[in-house]
Amino acid sequence: MQSRKWRVISRAGATVMTLGLMSGPVAFGAEAQPGSEQGSSTPPSRVIAARPLHQPPALSGTGTEARKSVKAFVTWAGQSVVEEQDDARKALRTAAKNPDLIQAFSAEILEAHKAGDSSRALVALGLLGEMRTYDGAKFLAEFVRMPLPTKGTYIEGELQEEVQQARLQAKAIAGIAYLRDADFDREVLYQVGSHPSVIVRAEAISAFLWNRGDTLDARKALEPFVRREELLFLDRVRRVSGENAETFNRKLSAYLKAHPEVQAPKPEPKAPRPPEEKPYTFDVTPPKF
Amino acid sequence: MNLKQGIALMSSLLAFGLSAEAGAVCTQTGASQADRDLWNTHGCWQDFFLWQYKAYGLKSGDWSNRGWSDACNVSLEFPKHWNASYLLTYGMADNFAQSFHGTADYRGTAEAPNSNFHDSLYHGITDRTDVFGTFSPRFWPWDTDKVETACPLYNPNASNSNPASRAGDYMHEGWHANFDKYNIDNGNTGGHRAGPQGACTATGCDYFYFHGISKYVFGAMWENNGTASRFHSPNQVQVEFLCDVSDQSQWWIPLSVRQSAAADANGRAASRFINGPGYSCGSPRPW
Repeated sequence: MQSRKWRVISRAGATVMTLGLMSGPVAFGAEAQPGSEQGSSTPPSRVIAARPLHQPPALSGTGTEARKSVKAFVTWAGQSVVEEQDDARKALRTAAKNPDLIQAFSAEILEAHKAGDSSRALVALGLLGEMRTYDGAKFLAEFVRMPLPTKGTYIEGELQEEVQQARLQAKAIAGIAYLRDADFDREVLYQVGSHPSVIVRAEAISAFLWNRGDTLDARKALEPFVRREELLFLDRVRRVSGENAETFNRKLSAYLKAHPEVQAPKPEPKAPRPPEEKPYTFDVTPPKF
Repeated sequence: MNLKQGIALMSSLLAFGLSAEAGAVCTQTGASQADRDLWNTHGCWQDFFLWQYKAYGLKSGDWSNRGWSDACNVSLEFPKHWNASYLLTYGMADNFAQSFHGTADYRGTAEAPNSNFHDSLYHGITDRTDVFGTFSPRFWPWDTDKVETACPLYNPNASNSNPASRAGDYMHEGWHANFDKYNIDNGNTGGHRAGPQGACTATGCDYFYFHGISKYVFGAMWENNGTASRFHSPNQVQVEFLCDVSDQSQWWIPLSVRQSAAADANGRAASRFINGPGYSCGSPRPW
């Protein structure tokens, strides 16, 4: 009985295996190396050199034209590089006088957020914050106050939809702080203690301090609003682009001296595993850029 | 059950499992702006993807309905995978006076060959949505360690579906491999300490082992002296990489990529460390 049963199972198994192989050519019949008919043989250094720098699209118009203009500008800004930042800033300063453009940026942010393209939403939020307008900051404040999602996918205990929105709200709070306006500063200070996400609270602290030159007075003004368990964020070490080792290391040393409690414990060992028998070797030199 | 019957049954289950795995894919409807912007700097560079699949030990069966034969379609997983590799292979500034680490460190952590950074590994992919990636150590000495990246790094509407966050996960998983090479026990919650605890709000937490800039020569990030004074955790390596993409990458790296890197780094630094927060990076100036 048992023998007959296993014969049936093994025949059924063979059938399933055959079907599996037939339905899964992806697993067994695939090409050994990847390919594409569209592959380019031009090295990136030449592709990059061909992109014209310092040519942002016009940022102008009203109504639908303003919307189109902002869409194109956000696309350009995402592709732009550090040395084009001033081009964007200059265009934004002029555009700040046009309420239709501010409205169009707000619409673009909401559209990118709804579509789930965080990278585009971050770019658009940054651009609107850089404009330093009352209407723009008002929109950013409303954006920061949007309730965080409560349903979705958890990864290591973090609701991903919540993290995604909080990162965008952190960018928005930086834009509000950049206005350096007393009314909007009150919003930043409120969010320092009240926002439900530590990601936003942390950025609110950092942005408030940075916009006041990281002074002792700014720290004193901020401290009453910071949650007791998050006071460490007031001294958090910030590494900024272009900062050299000497400056950064001095800040880090001061931080570690002031907060010996952040010293991590000694790493713990575990039993060694047997060495691998067939190490993979490969010419690690990548193609010339 | 005799041996032959056992083999037949196992083969059936294996074939079924393989076909089921191969049939499912992540969302393939598009790519984030950051992915597209980086992609436009190379326009689908064939020499690179023909090198990359070997450098990362990719196996065709894992990637075949994910762009293996359509390697220039940035909506698919394999093109997104090699787009992230391109970022870390060519995109770092390697400024010893300003960067946390250099290309040699990030490549050594991510790539497949056996090195000071880790034993041999290969990159696969999984349809799981409850992880960004996983590291599976070899069971037998003749096996190979496996890094798998998951759909939240590829689905176009996911927060980490951008080249910097994807490459950041190569660092994270690669550092679990580093711990296996150097026999480090970082906890039993998926290779991390159980959380929330301290300043860590996630369920998998690490310590941050603060170090200054220029303290590790490029290529020496793998070094540890068995104490907290010269050591890195997986989340820390990930944060330092993301900060270097944000602040210390090549001039031609698009701002959408840099901003996504900063947002991921700062969020992770605020929420994943018991003795946190870790460093913050990027500028609080909006643009």
